[in-house]
Amino acid sequence: MGAVTTESLTRRFGDVLALDAVSVDVPAGGVVGLVGPNGSGKSTMIRMLLGLIRPTSGTARVLGEPIDGDRAYLSRVGALVESPAFVPGLSARANLLSLAQLRGLPVARVDAVLDTVGLTGRDREPVKRFSLGMKQRLGIAAALLPDPELLVLDEPTNGLDPSGIVEIRTLLGALAREGRTVVVSSHLLAEIEAVCDHLVVIRFGELVYSGPVAALLERTLGHVEVQPEHPADLQALLAALTRAGHDVEPTAEGVRVRGAGGRAAAINRDAAAAGITLAELRTVRESLEQVFLDLTGRDEAAAAQARRGGGAA
Amino acid sequence: MLDVVRSELTRSRRRGVLGAWLGLTALFAAMIVAVIFQLAGDAAAMPAAGPGVTFPTRETLESASGLMAPLASASSMFGIVTLSFWAVLTATDHSTGLVRLLVAAEPRRWRLIAGKVGALVVWTAVATTVAVLVDLVVAPMLGATSDLDLGAWGTDVGAVVASAWLNLFLALLVWGVIGLVLAVVTRSAAVAVSVGAGWVLVVEQVLTAAFDGLRDWLPGATIGAVASGGNDVISYGSALALAAGYVIVCLTVAVVVFTRRDITD
Repeated sequence: MGAVTTESLTRRFGDVLALDAVSVDVPAGGVVGLVGPNGSGKSTMIRMLLGLIRPTSGTARVLGEPIDGDRAYLSRVGALVESPAFVPGLSARANLLSLAQLRGLPVARVDAVLDTVGLTGRDREPVKRFSLGMKQRLGIAAALLPDPELLVLDEPTNGLDPSGIVEIRTLLGALAREGRTVVVSSHLLAEIEAVCDHLVVIRFGELVYSGPVAALLERTLGHVEVQPEHPADLQALLAALTRAGHDVEPTAEGVRVRGAGGRAAAINRDAAAAGITLAELRTVRESLEQVFLDLTGRDEAAAAQARRGGGAA
Repeated sequence: MLDVVRSELTRSRRRGVLGAWLGLTALFAAMIVAVIFQLAGDAAAMPAAGPGVTFPTRETLESASGLMAPLASASSMFGIVTLSFWAVLTATDHSTGLVRLLVAAEPRRWRLIAGKVGALVVWTAVATTVAVLVDLVVAPMLGATSDLDLGAWGTDVGAVVASAWLNLFLALLVWGVIGLVLAVVTRSAAVAVSVGAGWVLVVEQVLTAAFDGLRDWLPGATIGAVASGGNDVISYGSALALAAGYVIVCLTVAVVVFTRRDITD
């Protein structure tokens, strides 16, 4: 059973199509990255899964239960939706206590989650005195209160400094190792790719990719940078590799063989066959971030026009 | 259900908000008692009514219930304060985005409304008690300095105070529920308070002046009758029945709107 399954999940706000027939099957366990540019529909999808807004059409199941039922699954789900929201004048402890009481949880859970996010000792302070990073951690603490099987965190690294981002990433990994499914959304893949096992990529309301991170990495062919031992051999090397069927282009000091991430050995053999000794043979893989940008990059104005026109395609 | 009320009580225990609510209630109680007893000795100076206030007659003040009469007279003023704080404590759930957390934690949204009402009923009882205590302290002091004959005040004090407390409490609950529904519908404390205060101070006054038939069933008049235990225009029983009707309609609207609306805050 997947942690989250959606079938043609669609949400329209007036004439804007926020989510367009998205069908995904998110496996249970591990960290799932829900990524896409700002305004791509990530928060809309999360809000529908949490029962905050209703789909225009399509269905979804969370932890095996339909989202249009009594949503009893929410007792097993913890969530941080957009920015952390608390009563500013109340202490962190009082805010968490009120949420624990609402869920019928013991006070001990408040202490436990404060400890998990490292806010013990600051819990008596009013939330209005907290930094953004502390508020994010308090938001995660609130999400952890029900000891959830599924943790949904919407942009948890928003506004954090680099050390805060690393801290959150470490926490997410630790939570997943406890057997939970952690769905974390971000508009920056680089912030979460290190901890994700599975990715769901959304662009302007459409599903672009859903699957293991490893499968996406396999798409990154990259290129090979080649440099002859003697600069005088550069033209001969270009000619030899072209004759051998490689897609080449000259660079300042050598040759770039495009789309050849797994063919370094063949390139070396072809150069040697032409009597050229190589000083450098280096495979350069495209980063996952670049793949993400290739997947999600599109002219914003054209996309907005398409969405208003009744389709996100 | 008790968990939801306890949660709301914890969340509403904000020093600033509660301090302002109880402080304003105490201040207004002291002010209205002082004004009424100041004017009591001069029948010509005593107006029949002011915005949100109806002034008791000399006979009323000298009766056994005269001790608590100022509270009923100013019930609309206390009502506006109560409406405001019910609206503030409801609307801020939306303005802070807290409503997202609450609905994700308790998908049966009607229980969130019920919990909110339960907690605010508790705070309204506290506010009513504050108003009654202030009256009990200030009225005898100022009454003694007036030329009123206060001989009847010692008669059945317990029943007079209990009755005044209950009537004011019920009246404030109706005002509070109106504040809650306005806040749920508008998701804005400012708009809810403006509509509520504008109704009491302007709209209802104009309507009753223009159409005499409206005097015995509009909210302000009805709630005023509850606070004073019935009056010449609306009997106590009719006032209670009408007030209950207003509460039921308001709570139904609040629950229907809140359960059906998308949470986009």
